[in-house]
Amino acid sequence: MPLDTSTYSLALLRVDGRRWNELRRIHAQIRTQAAADGSSYLEMGHTKVMCVVTGPSEPGPRRGGAGGTGGGGGVGAGGQSKDAEVVVNIVIAGFSSVDRKRRGRGDKRTLEMQSTLANTLAATLHTHLFPHSQINISLHVLSQDGSLLAALINAATLACVDAGIPMTDYVTACTAGSTSTYAANDEGADPLLDLNHQEEQELPGLTVATLGDSDKVVALVCESRVQISRLEGMLAVGVDGCKQVREILDQVIKAQGQKMILDGTVDKGTGLNDMDLD
Amino acid sequence: MADRRRINGPPGSTIPPVFEDDAGQPEIMNGKGRDRAPNTIRKMFLKTGVTPSASGSAYLEFEDSGKSGVSGLKLSCTVHGPRSLPRSSPFSPHIVLSAHIKYAPFATKQRRGYLRDPSERDLGTHLETALRGAIIADRWPKSGVDIIISIIEGDQDRETSKSQGDETWDMMNALSGCITVASAALADAGIDCVDTVAGGVAALVQDAGEDSTPRIVVDPIPSDHEKVLGACCIAYLPTRDEVTNLWFKGDLPASDAGLYTQLVENGMQASRNANRVLVECLGEATS
Amino acid sequence: MTSSQQVLLSPAELSYLHSSLSLTPPIRPDGRSPTQYRPLSAETGILPGTNGSARICFADGTEAIVGVKAEVEKTKRKWDDDAVYTENSHNDDEEQQQDGRGEASNGNGNSDWVELTVEIPGYRDDDPSTVFLAQMLSEALLADGGFIKKLRINRRFHWKLYLDILLISPPLSYPLPLLSLTTHLALLATRLPRLKSEGDEDPFFDDDWAAAPYLYSRNPTTKRIAERPPVTLLVMAVGGNIIFDPSKEELAVADVALAVSIGDATTSQRSQGEDDRMDVDSGNSGGRNLKLLSIRTVDPPSRLTPPGVANAANSAYGHAQVVNTGANQKMPEARQTESEAVEGVWKPPRGGAKAIVMGALVQKVLVRGGVADEVLDALEGVDTS
Repeated sequence: MPLDTSTYSLALLRVDGRRWNELRRIHAQIRTQAAADGSSYLEMGHTKVMCVVTGPSEPGPRRGGAGGTGGGGGVGAGGQSKDAEVVVNIVIAGFSSVDRKRRGRGDKRTLEMQSTLANTLAATLHTHLFPHSQINISLHVLSQDGSLLAALINAATLACVDAGIPMTDYVTACTAGSTSTYAANDEGADPLLDLNHQEEQELPGLTVATLGDSDKVVALVCESRVQISRLEGMLAVGVDGCKQVREILDQVIKAQGQKMILDGTVDKGTGLNDMDLD
Repeated sequence: MADRRRINGPPGSTIPPVFEDDAGQPEIMNGKGRDRAPNTIRKMFLKTGVTPSASGSAYLEFEDSGKSGVSGLKLSCTVHGPRSLPRSSPFSPHIVLSAHIKYAPFATKQRRGYLRDPSERDLGTHLETALRGAIIADRWPKSGVDIIISIIEGDQDRETSKSQGDETWDMMNALSGCITVASAALADAGIDCVDTVAGGVAALVQDAGEDSTPRIVVDPIPSDHEKVLGACCIAYLPTRDEVTNLWFKGDLPASDAGLYTQLVENGMQASRNANRVLVECLGEATS
Repeated sequence: MTSSQQVLLSPAELSYLHSSLSLTPPIRPDGRSPTQYRPLSAETGILPGTNGSARICFADGTEAIVGVKAEVEKTKRKWDDDAVYTENSHNDDEEQQQDGRGEASNGNGNSDWVELTVEIPGYRDDDPSTVFLAQMLSEALLADGGFIKKLRINRRFHWKLYLDILLISPPLSYPLPLLSLTTHLALLATRLPRLKSEGDEDPFFDDDWAAAPYLYSRNPTTKRIAERPPVTLLVMAVGGNIIFDPSKEELAVADVALAVSIGDATTSQRSQGEDDRMDVDSGNSGGRNLKLLSIRTVDPPSRLTPPGVANAANSAYGHAQVVNTGANQKMPEARQTESEAVEGVWKPPRGGAKAIVMGALVQKVLVRGGVADEVLDALEGVDTS
C-alpha cells in the first residue's frame, strides 16, 4: 500500500499525526534482567527492542563457524588482541513484523546491522581497558515499526551503561527522511524526523548516530536514493533528533540511578573509581 | 533458499500412482496386519568392517516383510577416529563424540534434501546420548570420534495409499537401528565401551477392526496397524541392565502406570534381541 | 555440546555437590526442596502484534518470551483423497467420500500446521541442542491430536500457527523448563479471530478482537480453562534422590536427567468413563488427571566433566603411578582402580541408568497432587485474559 504523501502539504501532518520534527514516544528501562551484566528495554513508537550485555568477560570457546563472531558482528581480534572484542548478536523475532517472516541467522541485513552496531560501539567503548576479553551484546527485536537500527543503537547504549562499561559518551541514534520521494524531485521537500515503517518503505531516509551532546557523527547509514541537496537538511534534523534522544536516555539513567541510591544498592559502580579512566 | 550447488530432483513427493484393481485391492488389504508374534522383532542382517577406509564400520539391514514394495530399513555406519582434535578446539578430558545421521535423498517416500533437516539433527542428538553412556570416554582425552550413519532405505510401505502421518513413528525404528549399527561400528573401530548398546522399539498399537483392544508389540511397522497410540525407543546395555537413552512419545493416561512400565519392559526385550544379533556378529568378525 | 554449556566446576566441587545432593534430604546449593521450582514472575499479552504472547522471568534471572502468530493457510489435499478416481461415480461419490474418509484425514490435521522455533543467544538455530529443544517442545504439543484439531477452519483451510520462542537472557541453566512454561502461557493467551463464514467457503473473520475466542476455550461462567496445553518438566536423579528443575550446577552431577511432558487429561472425552471411575476410587485426593505425552533422555553434562584423581593414584603425593597408559589398560588391577569409586573423588558417571530409576522419575512426575499439579496450579494463577 503506497503511502499517501499528498496530504502532507495541506496540514503539515504526517500519517501518524506528527509534525516534521517530532519524535515518537520513547520509553526506556534499564536493568530489566537480573542475570545479565547489563540490560535494557527500549520502545520507539511501536519498535520494541531488548538488549542484554554480558561482559567484559573471557572469550568463550569458539564454536565452529558462526560462534565467535556472533554471525559476523565481531570487531577486534578478541583473545589475542589488546582491546576487548565487541560481539553483537541480533535476533529478529518471527512475530515482530505484521506478517510473520522468519530471518535466519545468516540473513544479510541482520549481519550488516550487527557489524554496523559492533563498529559503532567499539569506537565508543573504552575497549583498551579490557584486553583479551569479549563484550557480548545480544539484542532481541520484539516488534518493528521503522527506525530499527536507531532503536538497536539506543538500546545497546543503555545496556552498556547499565553494565558499567566505560565509554566516551552516549551514542544515540535517530532516523531522518524527506517528505517526498526521490522520483518526485520536489524542491520544497521538508526533512522528517524519526520515520515509522510506512514512511521508511516509501521515502528516502537515513540513520544517524552521534556522540553525546556534540555534533560528532559516529554512524551514518543511508540506503535509499536521495537528492544531494536534501541530504544536508536531513542530516541536520537527524543530529538534532539524536540530541533529543540523548536527553531522554539520560533521564532514564538518572532516574534509575536515583532509585538505586534510594534503595541503597549502589555498590555495583564503585569499582569505577579506582579504574584508570583515560 | 535454493540449493544451487547440486542438481536437485523435483520438490515434493513423487509417489507412483496406485491403480485400483479388482484383484489387487483386497490383496493389499489382506497384506496388512502384523504376521509376527507381538514379542518378536524382525530378522536382521548385521556385518562389520564393510568400509575399509574407515576405522570402523557396519551395515545393518532389516528383513523385509515379504510384501511387494515394502522394504526393510537399511543402514550403513562409519566411525572415524579416535583422532586428535583440531588445534583450535579447547582441551577436553574426554573423547568428543559427534554423530551425524542422514537419510539418503531416496530413502523415504518424501524426498529428503542434501542438507540435514531438523528431524535428522534430532536423531543425531538421541544417538549421541545413547552412545555417550556406553563408551568409556575418559580413555581418550583430547581426541574426537565422528560417527556417520546414512539411512539408505527407510522402512516405508510404498503401496500404502494412505499417508497416515506416521513418519514420526518411523523415526523411532530408524533410531533403534542407528543405535545398534553404531554400536557395532564402534566395536569394530576398537573403541572401548562398557557394553554393546542396542536399540529396541515397543509400541502400543490399535489394530483395524471393530473391537480390538490396544496391545503392545515390539519392533512395530506403523503401516501394519490402524493406529499407533504410543511408542518408545530404548537404548539398553544388557549386561549392566542399564538404559542409556529413553525416548517415549504418545498419549498415555497417567492413571495406568503399568502401561508405561510394560512398554519400557518390551522395549528392553526388543533391545536384548537386537543385542544378541550384535554380539554374534562381533564374535564372527573376531574369529 | 548438547544439554549444557561447559560447566566450570572442579572435580572437587563436583564431588562435594554430588554428595550433598545425595543426602537425605538433599541439600541443594540454592536451598530449595527437591521438588521446589524456582520462583518465577510471569505476564501474558505483552505483545499486541501477536495472537498470544507471554514472558516469564525465573528468580535466577533467566527470561524467555514467546510469541504466537497465526496465519490462514490452504489445506493441502492429501493425495489419496483424490487418488481414487472412478469414471462414473465421480460426482455423487465425492460427497460421501469426503464425509467419510475425508473427515477422518482432514479432521486430524497435519503436524506441519505448527511451526516452532527456538532462539537461544549465541547458538545457531540449527545447532543440535536448539533443534533438540524445539523438537521436544513440539513433540509434546503434537502428541495428542487434540491440539492440531483446534487449528482446523474447514475442509479447505486451516490456521498455521507459528511459535517463536526467544530466550532473552544468556543460557545460565538448561532452559527447557522455562521455555516450556512460557510456551504454555502463550498458548493459553492465544486468541484466533472469530470465524464468520460457514462451511467450506473461503473463510472471513470478525474484525472485533474483543470477540475473538481463545484457542484454549474457557468455560463462559466460571472462566476456568477447560483444557490446558502440555508442560515439560525437567527432572533428574542423583544418588537416591529425585530433584526437580535442576540448575546448571546440579545438572552437572546428575546420574540421569529426563524431560517429561505431561498433559491435563481431565476433560478429554475419550477417557471420560475412566475419569469417573478414577474419581470414585481416588476419593478426594485432589489433583488432576494427568497423562504422559513424551519422555526424552537429556544427555547429562556430568558425562563431560573432568574426573578427579585420588591421592592413591597421584604421583604428586609420592605414590608410584603407572605412567604408561597402554600398560594401564592391559593390567586388570589398573582397570580396577579406574572404575573403583573413592570417597570424595569425582568420577563422571559411566553407563546408563536402571530402568527402575527412570520409572521412578516418571512416577514422581505423574503422581497425583505432585509437582506437575503444583506447576499447573501456579500457571493457572497467571492472568491470561
